[in-house]
Amino acid sequence: MSIVREYDNFLELRKQETSNFLWISKKWNPQIAFKQGSTRPSPQYHKDAVLNSPKIQDLLEQISLKTNVPKVELEHQVKDILDEIGYEKKLKVIRWLGLILTKICLTVLSGIYVNVEQVEQIKNQMGNCPVIFVPTHRSYGDFIMMSYLSFQYDIEIPAIAAGMDFFGMWGMGTLLRDTGAFFMRRSYNDDSLYWTTFKQYIYQLVSKGDLPIEFFIEGTRSRSNKSLTPKYGLLTMVLKPFFFSQVPDIQFVPIGFSYDRILEESLFAFELLGVPKPKETTSGFFKSMKILKENFGNIYIHMDKPISAKEFFGSKLDRSVHNLTPLHKQEVTEDEKTLLPPLAYEILNRQQKVLVTTVFNLVSLVLNNNLAYETELLSMEELACDVKWIREILRSLGGFTHTTNIERSIDDCLKTHKNLVYLNRKGKLKLVRNPISQGEINHKKLKGHYLSDDTMTYSVPFVTLQIYINPILHYFIDIDIILVILDTRPMNEDELFESYCFLRCLFSREFITFAPKDKTAFNAAMNDAISLNLVNLNNGKYQLANNKKLGMLIVNTFYTFYVSFFATLLILERLPSVVDEKSILANVQKLLEDAIVDKHKEFIHPYSLNLDTLANCLNSLVDEKVLQKTRRDNVNAYEINKIKLKDVKDNFARYMTRCSIEERCQIINKIHLQNKL
Amino acid sequence: MGENSQKNQLNGPIIVNSVVPKNRQELIKWNGWGYNDSKFVIKGGSEVYFSGRRYPIGEQRLPHIYGWVKDVFDVDLSTAVPKKFNDLPDEKAYPNLNVTPEILEKISHFNISFSTKVIDRVIRAHGQTLHEIYTLQNSVFPRIPDVVIWPTCHEDVVKIVNFCHENNIVIIPYGGGTAVSGAPECPPDEQRTIVSLDTSQMNRILWLDKENLVGCFESGIVGQDLERELKVLGFTTGHEPDSYEFSSLGGWIATRASGMKKNVYGNIEDLLVHVKMVTPRGTLEKSCQAPRLSCGPDFNHLVLGSEGSLGVITEVVLKIRPLPKCQKYGSIVFPSFEKGVEFMREVAKRRWQPASIRLMDNDQFKFALILKPESSYFAHALDAIKKFYVTTIKGFDPNRMCVMTLLFEADEKQVETNEKNLYDLCKTFGGFPAGETNGERGYMLTFVIAYIRDLGLQFEVVAESFETSCPWDRAVTLVRNVKHVVADECRLLGITRFLINCRVTQTYDAGCVIYFYLAFNHRNVGDPVRLHGRLETRAREEIVSSGGSVSHHHGVGKLRRKWYGSTVSEAGVGLYMAAKRQLDPKNIFATDNLVTQAKL
Ligand SMILES: Cc1cc2nc3c(=O)[nH]c(=O)nc-3n(C[C@H](O)[C@H](O)[C@H](O)COP(=O)(O)OP(=O)(O)OC[C@H]3O[C@@H](n4cnc5c(N)ncnc54)[C@H](O)[C@@H]3O)c2cc1C
Repeated sequence: MSIVREYDNFLELRKQETSNFLWISKKWNPQIAFKQGSTRPSPQYHKDAVLNSPKIQDLLEQISLKTNVPKVELEHQVKDILDEIGYEKKLKVIRWLGLILTKICLTVLSGIYVNVEQVEQIKNQMGNCPVIFVPTHRSYGDFIMMSYLSFQYDIEIPAIAAGMDFFGMWGMGTLLRDTGAFFMRRSYNDDSLYWTTFKQYIYQLVSKGDLPIEFFIEGTRSRSNKSLTPKYGLLTMVLKPFFFSQVPDIQFVPIGFSYDRILEESLFAFELLGVPKPKETTSGFFKSMKILKENFGNIYIHMDKPISAKEFFGSKLDRSVHNLTPLHKQEVTEDEKTLLPPLAYEILNRQQKVLVTTVFNLVSLVLNNNLAYETELLSMEELACDVKWIREILRSLGGFTHTTNIERSIDDCLKTHKNLVYLNRKGKLKLVRNPISQGEINHKKLKGHYLSDDTMTYSVPFVTLQIYINPILHYFIDIDIILVILDTRPMNEDELFESYCFLRCLFSREFITFAPKDKTAFNAAMNDAISLNLVNLNNGKYQLANNKKLGMLIVNTFYTFYVSFFATLLILERLPSVVDEKSILANVQKLLEDAIVDKHKEFIHPYSLNLDTLANCLNSLVDEKVLQKTRRDNVNAYEINKIKLKDVKDNFARYMTRCSIEERCQIINKIHLQNKL
Repeated sequence: MGENSQKNQLNGPIIVNSVVPKNRQELIKWNGWGYNDSKFVIKGGSEVYFSGRRYPIGEQRLPHIYGWVKDVFDVDLSTAVPKKFNDLPDEKAYPNLNVTPEILEKISHFNISFSTKVIDRVIRAHGQTLHEIYTLQNSVFPRIPDVVIWPTCHEDVVKIVNFCHENNIVIIPYGGGTAVSGAPECPPDEQRTIVSLDTSQMNRILWLDKENLVGCFESGIVGQDLERELKVLGFTTGHEPDSYEFSSLGGWIATRASGMKKNVYGNIEDLLVHVKMVTPRGTLEKSCQAPRLSCGPDFNHLVLGSEGSLGVITEVVLKIRPLPKCQKYGSIVFPSFEKGVEFMREVAKRRWQPASIRLMDNDQFKFALILKPESSYFAHALDAIKKFYVTTIKGFDPNRMCVMTLLFEADEKQVETNEKNLYDLCKTFGGFPAGETNGERGYMLTFVIAYIRDLGLQFEVVAESFETSCPWDRAVTLVRNVKHVVADECRLLGITRFLINCRVTQTYDAGCVIYFYLAFNHRNVGDPVRLHGRLETRAREEIVSSGGSVSHHHGVGKLRRKWYGSTVSEAGVGLYMAAKRQLDPKNIFATDNLVTQAKL
């Protein structure tokens, strides 16, 4: 299925019109998602319906019997919960926010590009069943833009599932709520009254609501600018009315948001390194308003063709299993739950595929490779040359870069990122390095190892740059794996595939792959590798071919991930078989920090320090049953199967012969670690 | 014929002169629905009329149809050339006669009327599904009965069944031929001789028992004859399926039919007191006529819904009721379908149902307006709606509002209270009474609507109906889901002009009945029967997925066999087959209904 890559800049319209105010006060008669009855359901109607639903009423009766708390009192509790959850819809607020947003966008952005034709198509098909917008989530900008875009194209502003962290921000919670956000508690708790109410609220919105619903399938904002493994909680709740035949179908619209520059880039860099995330406060928000004085280039939004749940599940789903018992006495079945992962991964894949690549993604890729693994710095001409080259390669792999004139785009994006990249006096490109002083840090809040100010100063620019490489890595991961394997020796397809499966399983959380042992992805990657002259066949064996430049670039780019994984395996090997998560992370980071500092031995990329990758590695090892995860007193701990671990590590070490970190690997026990901190 | 025939009867059976002659085609369309003289006709280019004076809209201009047909189906009645259909089939059309002279010779000795003429055989080879009518009009059936036989009493049937059993000849009982499940059709691969057993000449009223309020009828009596005869005596059965002009008592039982006024009189299973069914293993019947028995499983329920596959129903004892003192129509408009359903649910909860209560969805409501015979000045049907909207029901969205039709049957006092209750209650649901005429028109329309398919068929528009029953809480979503699936599937099939609407036609304590109409223009899209088959299958799958049943009253026949097993469970299928093997070991009632022969 080919993707139509035509984008209109709708900010241009705002630029040209004489009065943004006129536009923002336009007649509002939006397309709704799912027509209901004769009158449109109001926010309060939904809350009342939830309270009066047999599900909640039954539950309250039960609790009341058990606890002797009168039912009315419980009803009040539910009402409070619903007020905490429920969205509101205040057109006035929407218009005012829209106006402010327009002003901001006009000052800090050059354009907001949207594939309008598809948007119009989706809009025209709306009306007959719930529509779920499922955007990538890599910035707070996502849902603001989603609502803004909806307003632009006269689509009803979606009801958005938002985390409670917003709720804490004074004023912001209310503002967001008034524009359609509803709130979900994040923390694990087993408050069954809360969750039953929340689930019923979603059930209500999907089956009896008429707004599009927006939620993030990754559950949280990705700090790495890469897709995260999907979460199934909300997806299950959203699909329940379909499983129960309460709606004819559900349309999921995957949406890709890409930003020339991400608002939260430095925050993310810190977070990735393990500096605890500051609680979102309004003053923090206003601080980020200051950033808005800067230039953020373009935003690209691609709405993909909807995925119909009905079509997707096809005959695998038998909804008649729900016919014999009252619906409110039933839950989503285990069989139904097994249908979710393929759908979730399909949505994620589609998001990744449609995401627009920015020129800065390419610049970062080239620049990172240069700074990390090459001896001579790049001039602008050399950069442009390589960017053009890699753009063509990406195109052949299905990626789309938005630019009309690549030289100009490079200039533009370097201006946008002048806080990160600069031209030195010799006209060569370097990273801006601002000294970082962490001041007083509460060590208890650290997720991993306390990194020194020097390490931070050195690492943050690299990590920030990596954030812009990450979104295009999924185009290359399969090829990389093949190259890394063939680098050890030529081999036949079966051997190659076996090793490929091993690495791909290990990386399946870092680079979202579903069914990592699937041959079709392997075959596709092989075809690409061969046509890019990275690999060829000689006497029935595959071997590395002549395109060394591309080969190096790919292998270099991914090396940091290998290092992280390797370091984790090494540390796990040396730790006792039951260990808490923080000890693992701290030890791995410590090992890597030492290796990074010792630059003469080997270049270790600072991104290898990032906790995201380390956590993905641990989770993959859990998937592979190397680790067993337990959670006690809000602390993650692991039990290590040392035999399996050794297998994995030995297997993995075959690809790490260049790497010297094993020599320096030693464990700091917990007490020692804390003393040092 | 047709007028009351009781004058010359004193004691003993009442011989009923049926409206429907033995040569059915003399009165009834051989390749369409209903009376020959009643049909939609186009006069002077684009004016549509309904011919004949049998129905209230007869011989009146129907000015809105033209524009509506253009809008909905993109058919211009003024220029479109009606399709040419097959002529009445003659002997050449079906050259094969699969019966030996010896058998015919033996049959002739029974002194029971029979025929091997093609026209007689073709007419009894089918029911009323789209597939069957389309075949009649455009091609030939792969298999038709070889002999038609007209028994006149129970004993005749016993003789025929025994003879067929001995000679391994297939019998397919035939009542009024109104089935809409493919039930009367011959299995195409049947190698044995097939006899169509036409019950129409077995239609006497054997006796009436006014003390116990029951009557004994022969199974071939058709609804309108039965009611006409009873009316003279001051009674009614109250069983009134929309097909009651032509469908037979035996057919009702064999398909578990349901009448419009079941709220007062009950469905066929409620009316049935005693039934005789002739099987190869003897006649299944009971020893008494008690109102209810606790004596093991009730075999009435084996006969009900047997769809001709277990034996021939011959004599039936039904409940009868004195004619109601008062009959009155009514209607209520609601702002939306959902509100209407809520109201209906409440009425059912309170058990306030009048004889009939039906709710048309918005599309059907509009359609009803289209059929308004008006010498009006409105150029366009929509104007009529608008007018109706502006003048009568301000504040309602003409694209959302719905009409409920009501029929009351009781004594005046009861009707009055019932009316008042309903009209008061409806206000809580945003509805208000919209008069008697609207109600009456609604019921008249259900009879006329059956005729409109024949008009469409001439212009490449095919139509069909299907129904289901479901729990109350699933009704609205079921309707929505089915409409969605049909629209989706039409899009996939390339059908751009289609209509799918529905009405809620019956209420029960625990659920309701939903009746859908589906029609589409198949010009340049492909074989309409195949397309429709696909649409109806998808719709039924969606119904079943949405909590609905395989059928409320149309039955399974051959059309819905696919869902029989999953509906009654494997054990259920086994039970049915055991009964089948016991009563009909040679499978001479090889109707192929419910379960395919292959499995028997
Ligand atoms: C326009 C229209 C409206 C309809 N409205 C209704 C309605 O409101 N309610 C409803 O319930 N149905 C309705 N139907 C469906 C149909 O009228 C019923 O199924 C009816 O009961 C069939 O009776 P029949 O005499 O026409 O049977 P047929 O079509 O002749 O036969 C139906 C089946 O019963 C078997 N059968 C017939 N007579 C006997 C017998 N004496 N012994 C054993 N088996 C026998 C046949 O072999 C066949 O399998 C409608 C159909 C049409 C076309």
